[in-house]
Amino acid sequence: MNNQVKGRASELSRRDFIKTSGAAGAAALLWSTGRVFAAGSDKIRVGLIGCGGRGTHDTTKCLSSAQNVELVAMGDLFEDRLDRSLRHFRENFPDRTNVTEATSFIGWDAYKKVVALDDVDLVILTEPPHFRPGHLKAAIEAGKHVFMEKPVAVDPVGVRSVIASSELADKKKLTILAGTQMRRISHLVEGIKSIHDGSIGEIVSGQCVRLGGGMLTWGRKERQPGWSDMEWQLRRWLFLTWLSGDFIVEMHVHNLDVMNWALNAHPVQCVGMGGRQVRTAAEYGNAYDHFAVEYEYPDGVRIEYMGTQIDGCTNRNDQRLVGTKGRAYTDFGRVVIEGRNKVEYAWDQVDPCLRQHADQIAAIREGKHLNEGRRIAESTMTSIMGRMSAYTGRALKWDWAMNASQLDLSPPKYEFCDLPMRPVAIPGKTKLI
Amino acid sequence: MEDKASERKRELSRRELIKASAVVGATLASGGSRIFAAGSDRFRIGLIGCGGRGTGAVNDCVNSSRGVELVAMGDLFKDRLDSSFNDLKRSLGEKAKVTRDTCFVGFDAYKKVIGCDVNLIILATPPHFRPAQLQAAIEAGKHVFMEKPVGVDPVGIRSVIASSELAESKGLAIVAGTQRRHQAHYVELMKRIHNGDIGRIVGGQCYWNGGKMEGYWKFWKQTDRLFGMEWQCRSWPWFTWLSGDHIVEQHVHNIDIMNWAIGSHPVQAMGMGGRQVRKLGNIFDHFAVEFEYPDGVRVSSMCRQTEGCTGNVSERVVGTKGRSYTDSSIGFLEGANAYKYDGPNPNPYVTEHADLIASVRQGKPLNEGKRVAESTMCAIMGRMSAYTGRALKWDWAMKASKLDLTPPKYEFSDLPVEPVAIPGKTRLI
Repeated sequence: MNNQVKGRASELSRRDFIKTSGAAGAAALLWSTGRVFAAGSDKIRVGLIGCGGRGTHDTTKCLSSAQNVELVAMGDLFEDRLDRSLRHFRENFPDRTNVTEATSFIGWDAYKKVVALDDVDLVILTEPPHFRPGHLKAAIEAGKHVFMEKPVAVDPVGVRSVIASSELADKKKLTILAGTQMRRISHLVEGIKSIHDGSIGEIVSGQCVRLGGGMLTWGRKERQPGWSDMEWQLRRWLFLTWLSGDFIVEMHVHNLDVMNWALNAHPVQCVGMGGRQVRTAAEYGNAYDHFAVEYEYPDGVRIEYMGTQIDGCTNRNDQRLVGTKGRAYTDFGRVVIEGRNKVEYAWDQVDPCLRQHADQIAAIREGKHLNEGRRIAESTMTSIMGRMSAYTGRALKWDWAMNASQLDLSPPKYEFCDLPMRPVAIPGKTKLI
Repeated sequence: MEDKASERKRELSRRELIKASAVVGATLASGGSRIFAAGSDRFRIGLIGCGGRGTGAVNDCVNSSRGVELVAMGDLFKDRLDSSFNDLKRSLGEKAKVTRDTCFVGFDAYKKVIGCDVNLIILATPPHFRPAQLQAAIEAGKHVFMEKPVGVDPVGIRSVIASSELAESKGLAIVAGTQRRHQAHYVELMKRIHNGDIGRIVGGQCYWNGGKMEGYWKFWKQTDRLFGMEWQCRSWPWFTWLSGDHIVEQHVHNIDIMNWAIGSHPVQAMGMGGRQVRKLGNIFDHFAVEFEYPDGVRVSSMCRQTEGCTGNVSERVVGTKGRSYTDSSIGFLEGANAYKYDGPNPNPYVTEHADLIASVRQGKPLNEGKRVAESTMCAIMGRMSAYTGRALKWDWAMKASKLDLTPPKYEFSDLPVEPVAIPGKTRLI
């Protein structure tokens, strides 16, 4: 996630909305290629499932990305989350928000009720990652186009489900867009195209490094009286592996997705390490605070990933591809090609979040194929296998993880009930499942 | 410290001895017909640090060449000295000239050993003590074999470099216990890498991912009588001020190979690590470090001491035309100039001593002091970065860092255990 973009999202104000609308105009022009949409039948009706900060942000971008897009339904597990989000849309998009009592749903089955509405064309899935596979399946089976945030699962069982749903989407001619907006940030698009065209020769090595803060102020730390274990964990979902996948999956899938993109492959094996050296308090659930994973891609190309969420440390957020003829340095502001074919690509300042939604809406309207399901499932799996290796201390292979691993982090039941927290993983003891 | 390798060393068989002697022969041959006279170029060893490694090193040294004998011994602890004394008397027979009069115990034992009629000092004390003991040995005009690592902090490294320069000016030999530098398949692989067989080096990886070391590294129980300084010194691998932590104590071997291949030390490092399983002492149980060498060449290092995890102790160098793979038993190149070493591979723990002795006898004393100080410094930088969470530069660490882990005084007294490092909180000094 681009810090700039993210910062803007979390502080979404009227002023920001005006700015994003301006960008939306530009994006719409870029993607509309001359076609003018008539009101009415071309209206895209959006159902939002998961009304937290990210869902509100993504839906805002979606509504801003093209003409005639309307929010018509919402679902969340928690009423307070839905209400806050709905207030935002009513204030900022009064003419594009058409959510009623009858189309807003609370509870474990809220997603089913949203996807069951005939008047919904596109659902936005922004619940905690654990829920993505089940919700995607329901949405595709119900014949909806889907925008889903990254990551798209927390375990191999979930990844397989996402791939199956993506295949079904193809059969049903439904679009799936993933919230990996780096795929649409101009300098990465150009820079990685140049890598694919051979600007740095054959890739032989690389690094993917994201060292950031501890997220210590995220969410409400205090457990409220009356909250069940389940509710507490859901409210602290970022720090529970079964819900977020841990930060290597939840956040750093962006960076690993860029590596898969540049290498045009997924890894064949990995070995990782990690732990929880600083963020050890109970309110940080069972997530680690640092990971280091070596990913081996086809032909023995090894890429080192390092990720931390620890305050007070050196911050970095960059990827580097090393080729036989040069190197590419990439971050979320530019791509620099070093070596024989020196060039620098800068960001064109077009918000990639707007661009991705504009892209999907155009694809829906023009009946074009757009399905990023398998690709994001693979990038998510890349992250998951790194976490599995760090948690267990075992090297593991892609084929095994993808085909044989039985890891399924689902709780016994979806109810506000007792739910003991899984212990923090201990390498060498935590079993590879 | 080695796992399999040390077992191999302990089980030094007659067959290996013969092989090792053959290498010495070869080394000597390059020196022409110079045959040393008994007496004048006899090597008289003073051993400082009589643990397993020191005892093993004396055996290897004596067995590596003709005319080598053990004359004096020193250790902090009488029980450690006694057991080594008995072992060496048994294994070396009449080459163990050491007597009870030339055995010394205590914090100043090293000075007394150096004061004996010895000309080769073997330093196998915990790494913390290396810089001062090296300095004393070189100032006294002794050749030195010293175990790796050779310091635990930048202050110690600077001292080792100064002593190595002094050794150079005095014509004294310094060989370090980074035995891969004396191992045939490594030597051949590095020759080919330096010859350009894998093209220009653009990346690499090195690893020491192994077990928890409990049992191998003794951790003594604290009691009313064993506490503080004495307890920590006996349990030295588990305390950073004594061992440097395992990235320094053990993984320095693999980092040294990367420096060797690239022909340089890194210019900066960014590390992470922690202690997810281990409860003993104050060292971490895993580290991952990105080392950046000149021209932006990045090498990754991973080391872990955790039971039940996937093991890997090896190095890999990535070039524009191929790759090399090395571990303690094999080495090969992949790519345009594919190659696999299948020549003889004598025990490097013996060869390193043979090479030291031969170099002195040929009047061209080896001096590995600066090189091993630099490799140790790389490992220290990795640790410092992981402990603090801060990226750091070689030049700063080498010239400006004030980190000095020396305790307030060397005596058997109370000594609080330093807390385990917390990235983002532990200060970069």
